[in-house]
Amino acid sequence: MKASFGTQRPDLTAPGHWSSRLVLHGSLPVVWAHCGATAELLGELYSGQAVRAGKDANEAHHGINYLTNELLENAVKFRHATADSIELDASFTDGVFEIRVRNHAAEGVAVRFGQLLEQLTASDPNELLLERIEANAVGASPSASGLGILTLMSDYGAEFTWQFEQPDAAAPVMIQTHASLRL
Amino acid sequence: MEIKTNDYRVWVDGSTIHYEGTMRLSSPEDYAPIQALMKQVLEANEGRIDLDLMGLEFLNSSGINLFAKFTIEVRNRGGVGLGVCGTARIPWHAKSLPNLKKLFPALDLQIL
Repeated sequence: MKASFGTQRPDLTAPGHWSSRLVLHGSLPVVWAHCGATAELLGELYSGQAVRAGKDANEAHHGINYLTNELLENAVKFRHATADSIELDASFTDGVFEIRVRNHAAEGVAVRFGQLLEQLTASDPNELLLERIEANAVGASPSASGLGILTLMSDYGAEFTWQFEQPDAAAPVMIQTHASLRL
Repeated sequence: MEIKTNDYRVWVDGSTIHYEGTMRLSSPEDYAPIQALMKQVLEANEGRIDLDLMGLEFLNSSGINLFAKFTIEVRNRGGVGLGVCGTARIPWHAKSLPNLKKLFPALDLQIL
């Protein structure tokens, strides 16, 4: 399995592009708490850089915190039972906060997530967010309805690229989510 | 009526529900006790309900969905007013609360 979704980005593997790397793993309650703590940490760290670049501290802190928390929560929810570590890289350059989250998922989970991403990236996020909220309210939308991603696209203007890679049919699928947020 | 943890507190004062702290619960099921409290207030009031979010610093997407579902429930019931009060000091209020008004145009949204 090899697929990509969202806005295609240039190669982001250049040395020095990412300035922070963290790895999360552990039981669900522990790693869930670490999502919030990590989001707060990156909010503190990069909002300081954003302020030096002339950005509003409060807005920058919140945007980084919210984006990071949502991506990590998603990664935790859909991570593979055994390949359960979650890698995170982050950077701030030219007024843009970037984050890359990597986790592994079972093939079936990855296929369903890919189908969801096809829907989310094919429509206007503002309209789709309201449609999904309405569908959720009457139970006509699956629990993984992408409301967090749509909220980030619609309310925060975040841009995303997803890459899926599976080295062989027996291996879990690596899901890489790259997001950028202009502060 | 009150729900209190180390991270957040929700309590009722008349027809107003107050929220404060940080809500990062992991699923809609985890938000169920708060949803139940909100529904109790809705059942007990026929005039207007107010949601005071001035102290709610952080809410993840599952939590935002909780407020969206409640807004739709009030809208669909008919005859009950809904007020939502937030603050410009907390960025998510200005970014995401206007979606509630799109769902229910009669909603009285105040971002102070």
